Amino acid sequence: MVDRPLDDVELVERARRGDIRAWETIVREYQGIAFRIAYLLSGSAADAEEAAQEGFVKAYRALGRFRRGASLRPWLLKIVANEARNRRRSAGRREVLALRAAAENRPGDAVPSPEAALLAAESSSRLLDAVNRLSESQRLAVACRYFLELSEEETAAALGVRRGTVKSRVARALERLRTELGEDA
Amino acid sequence: MNEVEQRLYALGRELELPEAPDLVRSVGRQLDEQPGRPLAWRRAVGVALIVLAVALGAALAVPRARTTILKWFHLRGATVERVDTLPSAVERSRAGGLGRPLSRGAAERSVGFKLVLPPVEGGSPKVVYVLDDSVASVVLGRHGRPVLLSEFRSSNLAVLKKSAGDNTAVEGARVGGDPALWLEGGPHTITYVDRGGGFRERAILIHGNVLLWVHGPLTLRLEGSLTKDEALALARLTR
Repeated sequence: MVDRPLDDVELVERARRGDIRAWETIVREYQGIAFRIAYLLSGSAADAEEAAQEGFVKAYRALGRFRRGASLRPWLLKIVANEARNRRRSAGRREVLALRAAAENRPGDAVPSPEAALLAAESSSRLLDAVNRLSESQRLAVACRYFLELSEEETAAALGVRRGTVKSRVARALERLRTELGEDA
Repeated sequence: MNEVEQRLYALGRELELPEAPDLVRSVGRQLDEQPGRPLAWRRAVGVALIVLAVALGAALAVPRARTTILKWFHLRGATVERVDTLPSAVERSRAGGLGRPLSRGAAERSVGFKLVLPPVEGGSPKVVYVLDDSVASVVLGRHGRPVLLSEFRSSNLAVLKKSAGDNTAVEGARVGGDPALWLEGGPHTITYVDRGGGFRERAILIHGNVLLWVHGPLTLRLEGSLTKDEALALARLTR
């Protein structure tokens, strides 16, 4: 008989009873998205790593407060995001993290013609520039929703705002991007 | 989904983000080094009640014995015990300070409540210190002297415990109709149970006078070289 992987509910229940190995499985599952959110909010890879690590430790300690039946991912991401914001403030960083497109195609990408590649790169670059010119609150909302592909609930948890605020920030950002990009959009 | 949204999703896949580190081992090691189960609310409350019951039992059994609790004063979220020998304690500067320095907004998000403050000399405090996401503290200027105001939500199981020796006067008071306790005189110690159910065992030695009072859902604590009247006047201005 093949053991089936434990789901989040079972892992959390085990972790509540002090099973650290069960919590490590949760860490393995969510560390990627936790780090990316922390990087987006803290603006530093080193701070993001510390924030994600501390967030997972704090979340484990706080499992007693986690409501049974609730979704684990937004709860975890909220704790990690708080850690990341605190680190950014403590470091006194004010500059906005500028997002950059990767220079090379990813493995598995279709190889375009030189002309098509140039057009696509220009188009991406214009869009990215426009995103980087958004206000920080709108840029973070867009980055969470589209770049990290978080749900509205998760974005709200990560940014520490209400879901309605996420909706309105994203709507205003999309409107501005459409205006900036003109007919291209 | 419109075209801009499609292009944003596509752009997200092209973004340059640092590679996520493997945190499994570091988190596991940190938890292994500081073992302890997550405390469920019921269990945490149970632990707190057991702690209180054991201490109360000791007080009732040997009320005049040496190094025992001689008298209790209780205010919501805070307990002051009169002992004839203070527990060993460290000075605050050696105890790691008051917590992380944050802006007021960040501190309020961290502790989960809005701070209440008196009118402050020199404007709103730039820095709020937060300890264990439970206790927020600000340093205020009053009559040219620094005064420390700490706040925590009483219902968050943040049980503040103070131990006071014979040479510290402990008396009841009122702040705008709310119950308060005034501690004046010799040094006393402070320990507390944080919101996550974790015990902060290290006792911190306090030399100044202290006013403890209830303000809505919060318990507030004022510490400094103020007289009782000065502390009560400042507490009444806090909102």
